[in-house]
Amino acid sequence: MELSVFELSEYLGVVPDTIERWVRQGKLPISKKGAKYRFRLTELEKWASKHNISLDISKKKTAAKKITGRENQENNDSISLSTAVQNGGVYYDIQGKNVKDVLFSAVQNNPHIPDEFKSELVQRLVEREAALSTGIGNGIAIPHPREPADFLSHPMICVCFPELPVDYDALDHQPVFVLFLILCPDLKLHLHLLSVLAFCLKDRDFMGFLNTRPDPLLLVKEIERIQRTNPI
Amino acid sequence: MNYKLLHIFRNTPFGRETFLQSLYFCKTINAFPVAYIPKSDKFLMYFSNDAVQVDLDQSYLASPDTARQHAEELFDEMDIKPMFYEPKHFTASSLPDVSTNFDYLCCPRSVSDLSSKIGLGHIGPRVRRIIKHATFPVLITSPVFKPWKGISVFFGGSKNALNALNLGLKIAMSSGLPLDIYTLLEKNDETYFRRLIQDHGLEEPVSQLSRQWIFYEKSEFDTMLYEVPHNSLIVLGAYGHGIIKDILLGSKMEQIQSTVTNNLLITGPNCIISL
Amino acid sequence: MSKIKNWYKTLYQRLFHLDDRLLLIVAGSIAGICSGLAAVALRLSLETVLEWLHGFRHYWWAFVFPAVGALLSSLYLDKIAREGAGHGVPEVIYSVSRYGGLLRFRSSYSRLISSFLTIGSGGSAGPEAPVVMSGSAIGSNIAKFLGLNDRQRITLVGCGTAGAIASIFNAPIAGLVFAIEVILGEWKFVNIIPIAIAAVAGAEVSQAIFPEQVLFNHQPFQVGASDLLPSLCLALGTALISVLFTKILRRVRKTAGQLSFPLWIRALIGGCTVGIIGMFLPVVLGEGYHFIQSMISGTFSMGLFLTFVAIFAKIFATAMTLGWGGSGGIFAPCLLIGSLSGIFFYKVLFVLFPSFECAGQGAYALLGMTGLISGVMQAPLTGIFLIVEITGGYETILPLIVVSSISSTLSHYIEPASFYFKELIERGQFLRPGTDERILSDLNVSELIETDYITVSENMVFRQFIDTVRMSQQNFFPVLEDGSDQYKGLIQISSIRKYALDPGMYDMIFLSQIMDTKVISASLENDLQEVLDSMDINRMDSIPVVENDRFIGMISKNRILDLYRRELIVQTSVH
Repeated sequence: MELSVFELSEYLGVVPDTIERWVRQGKLPISKKGAKYRFRLTELEKWASKHNISLDISKKKTAAKKITGRENQENNDSISLSTAVQNGGVYYDIQGKNVKDVLFSAVQNNPHIPDEFKSELVQRLVEREAALSTGIGNGIAIPHPREPADFLSHPMICVCFPELPVDYDALDHQPVFVLFLILCPDLKLHLHLLSVLAFCLKDRDFMGFLNTRPDPLLLVKEIERIQRTNPI
Repeated sequence: MNYKLLHIFRNTPFGRETFLQSLYFCKTINAFPVAYIPKSDKFLMYFSNDAVQVDLDQSYLASPDTARQHAEELFDEMDIKPMFYEPKHFTASSLPDVSTNFDYLCCPRSVSDLSSKIGLGHIGPRVRRIIKHATFPVLITSPVFKPWKGISVFFGGSKNALNALNLGLKIAMSSGLPLDIYTLLEKNDETYFRRLIQDHGLEEPVSQLSRQWIFYEKSEFDTMLYEVPHNSLIVLGAYGHGIIKDILLGSKMEQIQSTVTNNLLITGPNCIISL
Repeated sequence: MSKIKNWYKTLYQRLFHLDDRLLLIVAGSIAGICSGLAAVALRLSLETVLEWLHGFRHYWWAFVFPAVGALLSSLYLDKIAREGAGHGVPEVIYSVSRYGGLLRFRSSYSRLISSFLTIGSGGSAGPEAPVVMSGSAIGSNIAKFLGLNDRQRITLVGCGTAGAIASIFNAPIAGLVFAIEVILGEWKFVNIIPIAIAAVAGAEVSQAIFPEQVLFNHQPFQVGASDLLPSLCLALGTALISVLFTKILRRVRKTAGQLSFPLWIRALIGGCTVGIIGMFLPVVLGEGYHFIQSMISGTFSMGLFLTFVAIFAKIFATAMTLGWGGSGGIFAPCLLIGSLSGIFFYKVLFVLFPSFECAGQGAYALLGMTGLISGVMQAPLTGIFLIVEITGGYETILPLIVVSSISSTLSHYIEPASFYFKELIERGQFLRPGTDERILSDLNVSELIETDYITVSENMVFRQFIDTVRMSQQNFFPVLEDGSDQYKGLIQISSIRKYALDPGMYDMIFLSQIMDTKVISASLENDLQEVLDSMDINRMDSIPVVENDRFIGMISKNRILDLYRRELIVQTSVH
């Protein structure tokens, strides 16, 4: 087989300078022919395994795949807020007078949560509220369980508008008019969504917009707009 | 980029001319000249498969106390930050190893022969060996400082000529000077050369950077040499074939270097240039 | 030439592509034969010229011979061959450890001629080191011709060395051991076989040309257990003498280096001094094999006091020859001084205990030689095998081992660097395979550097910088000047914490105000050792690499450890 030093460097995960030196010193079973390096694949594989160096000759063909793979992964890492909201859906006129009731009906109304987990989830959410209220002020609460919701396949944010503002024991003691229920299968995404959401909620226009109890399509569009102007 | 040229400084009027030439070369292509003021009359260069000892003639060691000052003055004249090379390793106490880790090397046509000091002369055997083993192009200066305003590439079609073309394009890019390509048709016709550069993906840079591409019939070699602008830098590959490979640098190369007074930038067979 | 190359290419592809061992054995035996021939040529011509000059020895002006020889030899080396002075062994070791054994072609003959001039005229030096130098240069140039890589070339350098030593002493095992112990410094399976074959080839060449002659004739020795104690005492003595010898050699050379005479006057003075000593004590002249032979066979006739004087006269003469411009090695002088000390010791012993029963003079001469060789070169195995082989006497092996080990240990204790290595150690170039220094010298700064760093401008507002930080993974941000892209300083995330946590500062400061401009930086030309040293002194984990005011990248200790380990695995593994 004949390859250039750059290709070899990619396969062996070693800087080109090092490969040139190793070939010169006779440490690699490769002979140099002009600009090309000639070797037998089996010999090189044997050498690499003996010296604990990873050799991935098929990398080139899968390189394209790998890039797309990484993009997917990045999407996984940083799911956009709008997608999460689309996943979760928007719910209006949630019943309930106190924190527990509101959370209970919010969970009960949610079609994405399997029935057998609902009661447990409510309990966890209530526990979380008991520890420290998620009412972050300005009439907004971001209830979420402490543990990741591993029964879900996608991260989601359910936007719930209670029928009447609820006394949520919030930091600024204002009654809460909207809840963003964050449910994530893994913790990292959860933190990500939390920070993105917190960023959006700093936007005054968005706050005013939320007060109008917009319908789902408009809400998603508005979120997308904010994301576009402030990509994170 | 961070290209460096090594110049072996000779503290004589002739050395000044070659040094000015190096400085001009560097200034034009945005490289950094590094001057080496020899302290002994010989040094070694270790290439990947050869150790070349360069024996300098006595003029390189002349008046060592003013050498550094003279070099600095010339640096200042060209408004370039002075840099000096100090050998770090010594094979023997009077035999320093000079690093081969440079991007260009400037040589007069001969480094150990007094007779060809000023005239054109032939390229000395040491310089030949350096060219043969060097992984970098070697700049062989004209006897007198002569600024160049264009680049002429001698493109012969062999693998090494492609290297020369690459190098010419690279220099045209970094200097912004016009590039002319000269091809002597020996075995192949014009379409062969056009296809060659197409195959190597050089069509676009060639069409963007080059001013003209002139083809000459086999018998017109001397005409070609005469038509090359006198104030251009000639870029060419050196590679001999067969028996003469070890002695000469290729017959065309020999003829060119003994006829043309231009500055020559030569890529040897071990030199790999990529754009 | 081209035909040979074509033929070679076909051969190479057919035969040697499977495994380079066969190639190394074939090329190694060629190297062994060539260097063997070189050694034989030097020995023959030395013998001839010494015989010829012998007729003139009794004239009063004979003392100028060494002077003329040294003069010609130094002029030849300096003006014609244009080589550095010295015996050349450190040069070979240096090239083996740093440049994969690349040696110049001229080295393969220059030392032969210069040492011929020095020794032939009566200068006190040995022909072995020059032969080693040319043998290794022959090996290296064969490798160059075949286009081999560094590892194979080093083996061939070893082959040349072994062939040369084996041929000059007719001692194949000593050749093998010397090449591996002193020149290569690593016992590797792939090296040993070609070198052993080359050594045998070299010895065969010398036997074919001098069929009857072992360098020193074999004498039967009766060595008993009672000799152990005296040989112990002798070992102490030879250790001291070898240290003294090394020190005087170096001191004399240093003094000569400080003088402002031209080279040829120096050589003249040195040669004359040797010549004058030689008028009174002819034992100091030349390589002295003849005297060694007489000492071994017990026919040496000098008295106790004269022997004592001769030891120091020889040391001084050798130092004058080698230090003041002559060319040659210390191997033969070592042997001579060693046998003189052995004889001296024997005579002292005889005076003190006239009734003591022990082996003869010859055996003590042998023990003394071993002691000195082991002490000066600190190569115990070479000492043992060389003496055993050149005398063909295995009877003395037990006291030989005792003397050799004690002498080399003691002289190592007093003077940790042996004669061949001292110069290299002082220059920091003693890089044995598999050692820390070797790996650090192999790894290049350009291989270690991590270049994918986001750079920031010095006029960037801090708020913008915080956003950049949020987007990236890196802990260091190089700050560049606007426009010229010159490197200005470095921002470390850990050192800007107090600003980063205070949003009030975000719009107040520019990066040029908080960057650290005093960070030590390295350049691409630095050796890794230097970079590591400056990191250690300044307690840094990462160091920026800056070249011509351009930021190139960072080197971190993590990365160094990674690559160091990988290099260690690659270097020390069995091929």
